[in-house]
Amino acid sequence: MLSVKSLDVFYGMFQALWDVTVDVEKGQIVSILGANGAGKSTLLKTIVGLMKASSGSIRFDGQQINHLEPHEIVNLGISLVPEGRRIFSSLTVLENLLIGSYTPKARPHRREILDTIFQLFPPLKERRKVIGTNLSGGEQQMLAIGRALMSQPRLIIFDEISLGLSPLVVTMLYEAIRKIGREGVTVILVEQDVKRSLEAASLAYILQEGRVSLKGDPKRFTDNEVKEAYFGL
Amino acid sequence: MRLLVLTLFLIALITLPLWGSRYVVSVVMLICLHVTIASMWNLLAGYSGLISLGQQMFIGIGGYTLAVSSMYYGFPISLSVLAGGVVSVILALVISRPVSRMRGVYFAVGTWIIAETLGITFSNWGYVRYGMGLFIQPAYKLSIPSIYYAAVILGVCSVLLVYLLLRSNLGLALMAIRDDDGASEAVGVNIFRCKLACFLISAFVTGLAAGVLYLNTIFIQPFEAFGIGWTVKLLFIVIIGGMGTVEGPVVGGIIFVLLQQFLSDYVGFNLMILGTITIATIFFAPRGIVGTFQNRFHFEFFPIRRQ
Amino acid sequence: MLTSLEPLLNGILLGGLYAVIGIGLALTFGIMRQVNLAHGELMILSSYLSLVFISLLGLHPLLTLCLVFPSLFIIGYLIQTYLFNRVLGRGMEPYLMVSFGLSIILQNAMLKVFTPDARSLKTSLAIQSLDVYGLFHVPVIYLVDFTGGIVLIGLLHFFMKKSYLGWAIRASGDDLSTSKLMGVNTARVYAIAMGIAAVTAAMSGVLVGMTFTFYPHSGTQYLIVAFGVVIIGGMGSLWGTFLGGLILGVAQLMGGQFLGPGFQLLSGYLILLIVLTIRPQGLLGRK
Repeated sequence: MLSVKSLDVFYGMFQALWDVTVDVEKGQIVSILGANGAGKSTLLKTIVGLMKASSGSIRFDGQQINHLEPHEIVNLGISLVPEGRRIFSSLTVLENLLIGSYTPKARPHRREILDTIFQLFPPLKERRKVIGTNLSGGEQQMLAIGRALMSQPRLIIFDEISLGLSPLVVTMLYEAIRKIGREGVTVILVEQDVKRSLEAASLAYILQEGRVSLKGDPKRFTDNEVKEAYFGL
Repeated sequence: MRLLVLTLFLIALITLPLWGSRYVVSVVMLICLHVTIASMWNLLAGYSGLISLGQQMFIGIGGYTLAVSSMYYGFPISLSVLAGGVVSVILALVISRPVSRMRGVYFAVGTWIIAETLGITFSNWGYVRYGMGLFIQPAYKLSIPSIYYAAVILGVCSVLLVYLLLRSNLGLALMAIRDDDGASEAVGVNIFRCKLACFLISAFVTGLAAGVLYLNTIFIQPFEAFGIGWTVKLLFIVIIGGMGTVEGPVVGGIIFVLLQQFLSDYVGFNLMILGTITIATIFFAPRGIVGTFQNRFHFEFFPIRRQ
Repeated sequence: MLTSLEPLLNGILLGGLYAVIGIGLALTFGIMRQVNLAHGELMILSSYLSLVFISLLGLHPLLTLCLVFPSLFIIGYLIQTYLFNRVLGRGMEPYLMVSFGLSIILQNAMLKVFTPDARSLKTSLAIQSLDVYGLFHVPVIYLVDFTGGIVLIGLLHFFMKKSYLGWAIRASGDDLSTSKLMGVNTARVYAIAMGIAAVTAAMSGVLVGMTFTFYPHSGTQYLIVAFGVVIIGGMGSLWGTFLGGLILGVAQLMGGQFLGPGFQLLSGYLILLIVLTIRPQGLLGRK
């Protein structure tokens, strides 16, 4: 479904990604891991259009998307739950969700999608008139996920959703992610919490200093392999 | 090598009245004054991060203090100019408390409003002849070279002052603040004191420069003296030259005064052209002439980084 | 007691006009986080455009709005697309300077084209006044200004709260790159928002032209009014802007009444400076 080939991405003169290739099949849950600064966020930002690659290609359902603007990419069916949640501080919970359905294809269905999300995350319904950033950390993460779901994506990317949250909350969120996966949405999980994401995923990539250092079925990884892929010791 | 260039340049400046025409002398004088005022604005905007749209308040106050002290109180000219600087610092001190609570855009707008307020106050004040302005009588008998030398001294000293300031501990603190507010506070830099020092220094020197400026023009009027036109010129000079560089105001000042002379025939278009060039520079060369040059060739005439 | 009632009432009504002046800036500065120093010039440009349409087509000033509105929308849209969008995301400073440059260009262009003479949009409304219980006089034009203010702010508030475009504008002001992730074409949305702000400038420009005389340099003083109104009322709050307008209007007219006519402008400036010092986020604003 998503095919990233030989991606090179630069921050000015600094090369952040080297010849990165990632393939995601429809319906999979794929995990992308790596230490801080390994290039995970850069990869995500490039997929979604916020950054441009200097070489390589990104294809979604066969269509090349490297040169597209972020809003066009969202329209094609890719959604990102950004790192740090990035809730809009002037909007209420409800408005935050509704802006998620901004793309033309999602707008007519907003009522139904909203209902689904309220079922998935009941606290959001209760606090729907509250300003988005006045929610607790866990609730904000729910809101960020719900917001990303409002565009009815076929591929949804989660960027470090467990950061700063208690284990109980994280378990609940992962339950929600599994539910989303069961609905047929393809999932990419970028995480620092190695254990959780390897449990959930059927395919994992580990990045190290901008390169793919390990790839495969996470159930088959040994602890040593993972350590080496992370830190290269 | 640099020292040689600098010395030759200074010799040329100092001896100019001997071999240059009156016109050239007056143009260079204007350049020196504009460089002074622009350097001070650059100290605030480029190094202290305080973009002021109200610097003209010190020009107006400095000029009026010169006029009043020399005419009404019979101060000798040099003392009057000094008085202009002193009163400017007093003004800066008075407004420093309220103004220090304004950040970013608010600071810009706040300083602008203070300048406008002063302008309106002066144009309604009988003591300074309302909006009709004052003719500065004592300035008539001054010779052009004497005003010229005052301007040169100010110009050279202000650039030197900025250079030395930036190489001092204060300068180190300023650049740290510019790079990262929070981190510098954590290592004990008193941000408020640093910015206040710059604010006061820039007020003082601007007041002095205004005094000399109005000795030259001999006529002062509230709308012009406290007018936003000054900020337009300063913005142009510093952006074209290069904000946050020592040489920037010098290059910008030269270009500005020459451009003004060239465009003086096309009344009304000159400000429009200035505005257009300023915008174009922000788009295509945001670091100004000096900044872009420094980036390309990694060469600073006045090196301010510690080795 | 009665002597203070008239300036109070008129101050409130005038405040409605001030609110209209400020609303465009509330949109660009408060919501989009773009400082548009050329806002005053867009207003005065509208006044002059109205003048042109009046002399060409002999319309009533209020009717010229039908032509001035679309003209200003286009101008605002173009300014955002070709000027402001180029410095999007670079921080407040480039905006400040680019819009400053723009205001200088516009001011001097108008000076060239229309000469420095005083102008006004002549209408009988300016001379008529309403007798309230025979106790004091209210210029009809002030009532028109006030009504215009309420209607405009009400419409804008509704638009911002309930429409996709309104949410998009607010979201983009909060977090530009994340709103792109929502599918928002931020460049176009900002251009439309700027167009809307320009339309409000058009309304205030025509109303101002009908209420007072104007010159090419009038933009500056109205820009300060706009800032005053937005800052006093609070960033990001449209009704706050309305409140700010009322306060400024009352302060000016009361100041003028009790301290003398020269103090009108000053009273306004002083209130603004006080608010800037004590409570920069304004009365109804958030951080």
